[in-house]
Amino acid sequence: MSSPLKHDVQGGGTAPDSRAEELALEAEDQKRAEERERRLGRRRRFIEQLQGEGLILVLVVVFILIWVSSPFFLTQQNLLTAASVISVLGVMAVAETLLVISGEIDISIGSVMASTSVLMGLMAAQSVNVWLTAVIGLLFAAGVGTVNGIITVYFKINSLVTTLGTYSIFLGVAYAISNTATVSIGGHGFGVLGSGKVGSIPVPVFFFLGLWLIGLVVALFTALGRHIYATGDSYDAAVRSGIQANKLRMGLFIATSLSAGLAGVITTSELGSAAPQIGDPYLLSVVTAVILGGASLRGGRGTMLGTLVAVAILGVLQNGFALLQFSTYLEDTVLGSLLIIAVLTDRLVRRAER
Amino acid sequence: MSDPAQSDSAQTDSAQSDPARSDSAQNDSAQEEPRATEASAEPLTPLLEARGISRSYGSVAALTGVDLQVRPGEVVGLVGDNGAGKSTLLKILCGAVQPSAGQLLVNGEPVTFRSPKDSRERGIEVVYQDLALATELSVAENIFLGRERRRPGPFRILDRPRMATEAAAALESLAIEIHSVRARCGLLSGGQRQAVAVARAVLWGSNVLLLDEPTAALAVMESEKIGQLVTQVAKRRVGVVLVSHNMPQVHALCDRIVVLLRGRVVADLRRDETDVRDIVMWLTGAALSRN
Repeated sequence: MSSPLKHDVQGGGTAPDSRAEELALEAEDQKRAEERERRLGRRRRFIEQLQGEGLILVLVVVFILIWVSSPFFLTQQNLLTAASVISVLGVMAVAETLLVISGEIDISIGSVMASTSVLMGLMAAQSVNVWLTAVIGLLFAAGVGTVNGIITVYFKINSLVTTLGTYSIFLGVAYAISNTATVSIGGHGFGVLGSGKVGSIPVPVFFFLGLWLIGLVVALFTALGRHIYATGDSYDAAVRSGIQANKLRMGLFIATSLSAGLAGVITTSELGSAAPQIGDPYLLSVVTAVILGGASLRGGRGTMLGTLVAVAILGVLQNGFALLQFSTYLEDTVLGSLLIIAVLTDRLVRRAER
Repeated sequence: MSDPAQSDSAQTDSAQSDPARSDSAQNDSAQEEPRATEASAEPLTPLLEARGISRSYGSVAALTGVDLQVRPGEVVGLVGDNGAGKSTLLKILCGAVQPSAGQLLVNGEPVTFRSPKDSRERGIEVVYQDLALATELSVAENIFLGRERRRPGPFRILDRPRMATEAAAALESLAIEIHSVRARCGLLSGGQRQAVAVARAVLWGSNVLLLDEPTAALAVMESEKIGQLVTQVAKRRVGVVLVSHNMPQVHALCDRIVVLLRGRVVADLRRDETDVRDIVMWLTGAALSRN
């Protein structure tokens, strides 16, 4: 189709056949570009599949390795215990996944967990009702999330820095206030949150799977989910579409912190005591699970299914290391390696787009 | 603004204008004529008007007493050398920058834009070269971003099939070629992304489109397609302000060309009374010294 633009550029002075030739050349260019686009699309889908299926493959391999090495692994009792233990991590991983998709990160969750627990212990020592201490603990956690959100969103500080700061602050507070002492806490049927069972399934598993389902529905089937992805993907595009990206991120910071508070409550209930050390294992592992699950630190990408599989991998590893009586330090080494592999895979996916 | 019926009515619109389009496509000169006469014959109220807009940064005057009008279906080219004040004017028109003096009017009504949100509410949309789309989301998701279609029911879950159908129909009505609305925007070419962004703005009822250098980074073919899209958009009685350095394209597409020089409007040229050389002379100030 001849167009007004072309006509005016040429001023009608060029021979018509050379123009046609030029257009044909351009059409060829266009075709090449489309071909390239399709090729990149295919390559990307392949790598994504590799990433998704690779993750499941890792889970299967780890599962089989530990099954073979320990006769205690594949027993109902052990698997349920493992599920209960990892559910605490899973509870936090759900909200963290959404936060990372929105383009932010929260590494303060371990210390929020600890300080929630210590706060509960402090109040319980003053004979405050244990359920009330849990509620106040959750409010405190939401408060920390609000602080994280305000500093990051409204003062535009990198959330890694913000939450590194609050991580340090609240871990320090937790240890200082508690004097590293463990306070016994319980009664009023409070233990049910951490060590209760429905049928033979531990209660923490329900917390995790319930939250995970909510996360799944939000991510896949709601406008809110699209807005979270869009905010992490292109903040400007999201804002220009009328999405209140700042409020959204703010809400996700609060949700993440709140889930850390919940994890603190569950762990405190399970142990029957409040202690500042309970958050220590979760600084690295929650973020590892989220990124291993395919959520990108640059935002805009990540799935709930990926997080579920990654949490399962971590659960099996943790359980296996305990069963085989490997050093827990070695567990950290494996986690770190997995984290790097996960980030490298993400980079590979990104590169496939160029 | 976010009227659900919008896309439907938009489709009927284009169905009516389609025959006209194929006619004009065959005859270049006939294409611009009806619009140009229309704009000058009826004294339509401008969709967007700037009166005596000035803006200074400290003691530096970026704009001085600028007048600009955009009428329904009119494509206005805004040209000028670097630093002439084009982008400042564009930012004022969309509310990203506030004028030091002067008045903006929408449909003849005086307005004050405190932010781009205000201008968007009045149907004025800027389409930037980049930043317009979320690359991880699909074409359909981008078109409906912030205005998602949902299924009835307590959970209001996303109605993806409906969004896909409507997005495809919308793109087709604007003659935008994209093989699938489920394609991720990150995999589209620059021109296609630009087209999706324009389609999005038009679909959601914007009646003034501000295009900032829409073709600066595009290949010739793509740039031409954007040109065709601008013509399509104008047929829907949308007013378009096109900021561009591509003088032949500006001349080909625009009904009027407004030339800025050092923050002042030095010429407001009708397309049929000017040519590319003329525009360039005004642009460089050569026309001023000639007189």
